[in-house]
Amino acid sequence: MDSKKPSPNNEPVLRDHVYDGIQEYDQKLPNWWLFTLYIAIAYFVIHWLCYYQLGLGSSDTLAMDKVMAEMQQARDKQMESITDEQLWALSRNPAAVEAGKATYMTPGMCVTCHAPDLSATLAGAKLPGLPLNDQEWKHGGKPIEIFKIVRKGSPDLSKGMAAWELVLGMKRVSEVVAFVLSHHKEGEPITRAVDTPPAAAPAAAK
Amino acid sequence: MTSTAASKVPIEFNDKVVRQFMLASIIFGVVAMLAGVFIASQLNYHQLNLAEWLTFGRLRPLHTNAAIFAFVGNMMFAGIYYSTQRLCKCRMGNDTLSNIHFWGWQLIIVAAAITLPMGLSRGKEYAELIWPINIAVAVIWVVFAVNFFLTLHKRNEPSLYVALWFYIATIVTVAMLYIVNHLSIPTSWTHSYGIFGGVQDGLVQWWYGHNAVAFFLTTPILGIMYYFLPKAAERPVYSYRLSIVHFWSLVFLYIWAGPHHLLNTALPKWLQMLGMFFSLMLWAPSWGGMLNGLLTLRGAWDKLRTDPVIKFFIAGVTFYGMCTFEGPLLSIRAVNSLSHYSDWTIGHVHSGALGWNGFMAAGMFYWLAPRLWNTKLYSVPMANFHFWIGTLGILLYVVAMWISGIMQGLMLNQVTADGLAVQNTFLDTLQAIRPLMGLRVIGGGMFLLGWLVMCVNLWKTIRSGTPVNEVREVAVLQHGKTDTMGMKETFFNDPLACTFGAMLLILGWIFLPPGADIASLICACVFGYMAVRRFQKTSHTWANWYDRLLQNYLPFTVLTFVAVVIGGLIQIIPTVTVNSAKNVEDRVQKLYEPLELAGRDIYVSEGCYNCHSQMIRTLVPDVMRYGEYSRLGESIYDHPFQWGSKRTGPDLAREGGQRPNSWHYEHLMDPRSMSPQSNMPPYAHLNTKAFDQKTLPRKIAVLRQLGVPYPPMDATEIKMKALEQGVKIATDLKISNIVVRPDSEMVAVIAYLQKLGQFEQPAVEEALTHKGQGVPFPLSPVIPDSARRNGSQ
Repeated sequence: MDSKKPSPNNEPVLRDHVYDGIQEYDQKLPNWWLFTLYIAIAYFVIHWLCYYQLGLGSSDTLAMDKVMAEMQQARDKQMESITDEQLWALSRNPAAVEAGKATYMTPGMCVTCHAPDLSATLAGAKLPGLPLNDQEWKHGGKPIEIFKIVRKGSPDLSKGMAAWELVLGMKRVSEVVAFVLSHHKEGEPITRAVDTPPAAAPAAAK
Repeated sequence: MTSTAASKVPIEFNDKVVRQFMLASIIFGVVAMLAGVFIASQLNYHQLNLAEWLTFGRLRPLHTNAAIFAFVGNMMFAGIYYSTQRLCKCRMGNDTLSNIHFWGWQLIIVAAAITLPMGLSRGKEYAELIWPINIAVAVIWVVFAVNFFLTLHKRNEPSLYVALWFYIATIVTVAMLYIVNHLSIPTSWTHSYGIFGGVQDGLVQWWYGHNAVAFFLTTPILGIMYYFLPKAAERPVYSYRLSIVHFWSLVFLYIWAGPHHLLNTALPKWLQMLGMFFSLMLWAPSWGGMLNGLLTLRGAWDKLRTDPVIKFFIAGVTFYGMCTFEGPLLSIRAVNSLSHYSDWTIGHVHSGALGWNGFMAAGMFYWLAPRLWNTKLYSVPMANFHFWIGTLGILLYVVAMWISGIMQGLMLNQVTADGLAVQNTFLDTLQAIRPLMGLRVIGGGMFLLGWLVMCVNLWKTIRSGTPVNEVREVAVLQHGKTDTMGMKETFFNDPLACTFGAMLLILGWIFLPPGADIASLICACVFGYMAVRRFQKTSHTWANWYDRLLQNYLPFTVLTFVAVVIGGLIQIIPTVTVNSAKNVEDRVQKLYEPLELAGRDIYVSEGCYNCHSQMIRTLVPDVMRYGEYSRLGESIYDHPFQWGSKRTGPDLAREGGQRPNSWHYEHLMDPRSMSPQSNMPPYAHLNTKAFDQKTLPRKIAVLRQLGVPYPPMDATEIKMKALEQGVKIATDLKISNIVVRPDSEMVAVIAYLQKLGQFEQPAVEEALTHKGQGVPFPLSPVIPDSARRNGSQ
């Protein structure tokens, strides 16, 4: 740009203006530097062209919707494959019960609201959860019903238990249920709580 | 080129104000770093949340504001006042203005230091200060600007040196950013609602936030580098034309990059794409600054061994290079999906703030102190110790944050074997990074230690000398040749015609409907080729024009403003006009009931957003952990938006209705009772205070003014509604044997938390969903997302 001082032997041009003792060379822009700029610009143009003008690639939201739908399908399939018998069997498997106990006792998980002894009371104080060591079940006491509550949470989440499906996953949920079931016997009487929501009532009555 | 020197007159520089700013910066540097070390410790030791006003949420804004505005701000002013007087060969414009600037700025800092711990906050990062202080900042900034431009006006040096270009860009751009992002309507003397809400607020906030980094922490410091580095190295600057190219590309591109803080969020994709690509394009211009700094040292590298000033400058510039390489990297959407909301970003900003700003400041102070007090530096070994402990400190800090950010990111993304559930709870990942958060305290502590050593060193230096104001014989410039450029000469010339022509065509490519966009792109390529050919043929006239421009400070300032305003206009105007509640076709959030609004304001003032985001990104791990991805409309009425920028705790976008009120109560009283090993501060004080009923009607009135569709309600109605809801929650808590006052802040916050994530689905009107018309005429601009071929956005 500035060629006031032609440089015969490739010496850098020193501009003649001096600012408070500061002088400036007028070196050429480094090529590698220019190329990083050009490449970034080219990348912008090509990527934009591909996405907007050629319509390549999927949008974020569509891609997400698809993945989540697939996962939900897989979850539903897993759900269908579980039966009461399997869960009772699992509750007699010491390894599974032990793993379930570990999850249950993890600070911040089940133990926080249901207490270490499943009584939902700690040192006489009532905890937010319901007792799991008696025979009264608000949302149904069949293994599959307990399983469902752990996965999905109570019908009205703000009034009861949170959903643990995404936090724990299928395997750990069944282990926790096995741990709870290990405090019970197959065939013991199940009573409904007075405040059982109507949606759960028919299932429990069955 | 040089004007005729008529007479030489002695001029005394105003070095007193430089000394004042320098000392203020040193002192506030200590404050900012102390606050940093303290809040970093709180992350591991929740017990350090000693009192309501010492909680992390309130002190983190204090730390960031102190570091940016008090520490770097004062440092910048010291550097600008010192160098501008010398580069203009005249005293600062007006001594009274200099004084008002200095004392006004310190008063603002004191006001900030009082109000932030009190919980008075606007709830937007680096823009937390309440509106009366905002006005003070704007006024003082204008005082600074007037003082600066007065100096340029009466300068005795015809041409503007590159350092001044950067100062001009700083002054003009910060004013623009600050004012737009702080536009708000007061509801009381200490509270206001910003005029933008939801996605608009997000975009404006990060346009501001990112460019606070660019034009408050970068351009002024680059200007300072351009003055002090060649002075200290006693070598010519590496390349004048690199200065030109990197200055103009930097100020033009930087403004566009803001949306990279909102990648993978509900921000429209075209803005995310612009944010990402402009960040990538910004890499080279940023490195231009680094090159001009580092390569200036060619032939003087031996000074690196002996001169602590050079050591600090070179390390500072190197950190700048590292930071501006990391920045574009983090702006890539795929990288960002891991790094964002994590400690990686924290490490990134600190390599900038400590490495670049901190070291440039230290180098400048070591250079200035002997000159301003006419003495010698007290101890070079102490300065060397400062350098090494500081460098080690930053490296420890940054590396710890890299590991922490990547590890926590990976752990949060881990899924169970069947791929259907997340593997780790948020608390698991928190425990994993605790040792790294400890290392960070040590690294930051080392940097602080170095800084304190500098304080002692400079104190001893100052004590050994006496303050002097430099007096110089200066040839008075005969005005006549400079500052004569008119509109025509400024705007109608080859360089501008080529630049604007190309830019318009590129914009046509981005915003024109299908068909016309491609045509515009082809035209842009042809036009660009022709422009380059023309430049090659007539580069002399281009260079001469630029030399002329440098002798005309007002046209230069106007062109700088044009360069920085374009990016913001193009991103913000479409967002404000299109992405408003009435255009949302997807979900729209439910209005906050009065009590919930009161709770929200408490959430904002406690600074919960410092640790909790409210934005579930379009990423599988986010959706698996927190629920469906957030829609643009789900926060459209939020003034301010609370999408957050860091997850020290989990996302709260869909927290509402997930847990009983009693859980929230226990958790707020003592977070560890519900979430063992959590590092959240306790909020028991919410239980003892009543929420602010008095200003609620005014608040709702202001929100109505801002377009939030509240039905008309009178004051008693609003208060009654709030109390009714409070009673409901208190009654519900009573079942769990918890007694709370129905008018307590606790109840309000619980009401707010339970509301998060509630939305309505408006009826979609078919007529509104217009697809591409097929015919590209008439050429009205369209949002790229809606014109995309092959499927919706």
